Amino acid sequence: MQGIVATSLIGISLGAQYALLALGFTLIFGILGVVNFAHGGFYVLGGYIAYSAISFLGMPYALAVITAALGTAALGYLFERFLLDRLIDDHLATLMLTLGLYMMISSGILITFGPQSPAFAFPLTGVLRAYGFYVPIENLVVLAVCVAGIVSIYALIYRTDFGRALRALADDRAVATAQGLRPKVLFPTAFALATGLAGLTGALVTPILSLAPHVGDPVLATSFLIVILGGLGSVGGATVAAFLVGMVEAFSAVYLGGSKGALALFVLVLIMLVVKPSGLFGQRARGA
Amino acid sequence: MLSVENLEVRYGGITALHGVSIEVAEGETILLVGANGAGKSSLINAVIGLASASRGNVRFAGKDINALPCDGRARAGMGYSPEGRRVFPTMSVADNVLSGACGRGGTAQREAWSWLCGIFPMLEERAEQPAGQLSGGQQQIVALARAMCSFPKLLLLDEPFLGLAPVWIERISEAIRHMQQRGTTILMTEQMARPALRLATRGYVMRSGEIRRSGTVAEIRELALAEEYL
Repeated sequence: MQGIVATSLIGISLGAQYALLALGFTLIFGILGVVNFAHGGFYVLGGYIAYSAISFLGMPYALAVITAALGTAALGYLFERFLLDRLIDDHLATLMLTLGLYMMISSGILITFGPQSPAFAFPLTGVLRAYGFYVPIENLVVLAVCVAGIVSIYALIYRTDFGRALRALADDRAVATAQGLRPKVLFPTAFALATGLAGLTGALVTPILSLAPHVGDPVLATSFLIVILGGLGSVGGATVAAFLVGMVEAFSAVYLGGSKGALALFVLVLIMLVVKPSGLFGQRARGA
Repeated sequence: MLSVENLEVRYGGITALHGVSIEVAEGETILLVGANGAGKSSLINAVIGLASASRGNVRFAGKDINALPCDGRARAGMGYSPEGRRVFPTMSVADNVLSGACGRGGTAQREAWSWLCGIFPMLEERAEQPAGQLSGGQQQIVALARAMCSFPKLLLLDEPFLGLAPVWIERISEAIRHMQQRGTTILMTEQMARPALRLATRGYVMRSGEIRRSGTVAEIRELALAEEYL
């Protein structure tokens, strides 16, 4: 019983992290029609920005996390505004651009910081003990921030003019533009929101998991997998699928051991693609 | 209000409009009549900025708007209801309508919403339903309300009766009359010229990307009858 609860907690906390990453990924796909191969890059960059802010500038951890989120958001904004936006409807070109950006980010980090993992630890350690269960405090903090992040994104998308405009652009770009919505402002802002979320997650999670130039690779793979499972471009689907993936990963790692977790996930997605290719909540394939 | 001079629009190698000129004065309701492929939608799209003109001039409310992108034209006071309705299918009816007035502030949005609900009670009844689930006539109401939500100076209606049953044509006509009562200038296209002519003050007949005739409603009705548009 204790094992199941502890594993579920790990699953939920993994799911919350994945949800933040996948929400950004699915937003960019849904609104811009771009598959952002640099998503993992922004996650790593967030980790390194937070690490540098603490180690070289002496910032407190909370401030470093905010700096990382803002820094990655700013880079995302500039990248979309000045590079991606010119070629937004050319799928091959946006693929090359985002993939190229990912390579630049990870090799830039490799050159600057070297291949070894820097010493970057979560500032709060300790274990909370209640009702016979042990929960690491750092996981609770990460979970709280991630859940707050998810709630804020939902509020932003479904309760504000900005979110309404983004959803309209995702549904029908030409008509939305003809209603006076500004793609030239909204596209880079949406991109910045998504990359800022990746950076935020990186800054929060890398001190617990690990920080190294290559840790963005599995992030991209997991985001991709979640978004396909949930239905491309679906915000609700991405959230549900993220927690599902978190749970499957946690339980298969604990009860099946090591690499069987990843195998279980890909089998799950494979079955999904055969049975319901549009994903859990996907309604239709996106028109290009 | 709107003045189009010598407008040319090309799609690839095909010329959709060959030097079209029209005038729309404030308070008028202008009808563009013509068969499929006559260039009516191309003209509407060139006015709102969805199609770019290769030659010619568009003036709106006293200003040249040739360099203004589509979204800027909408914010300058043009409302647009596209051919085939094209509501945002995953968004609720309320979100669809209010997307026409993004960034205008909560007070203005609430005012517009309650005015529109007064004319179209259907909007209030279906406010939370995804617009993609509505019938064609209901979707046309949503598209009209979306175009009206910012209270534009000029309303562009592209085939508002397309594929609708007579009862819905009557309701849409009623809605257009409400907009006329507010003093809105309207430029509309319609293949169903008979009900549309009842709303118009003046009209143009288009064929093969050119304006063939222009005149009062009575003249257009006779012309259109003679050329078998009705």
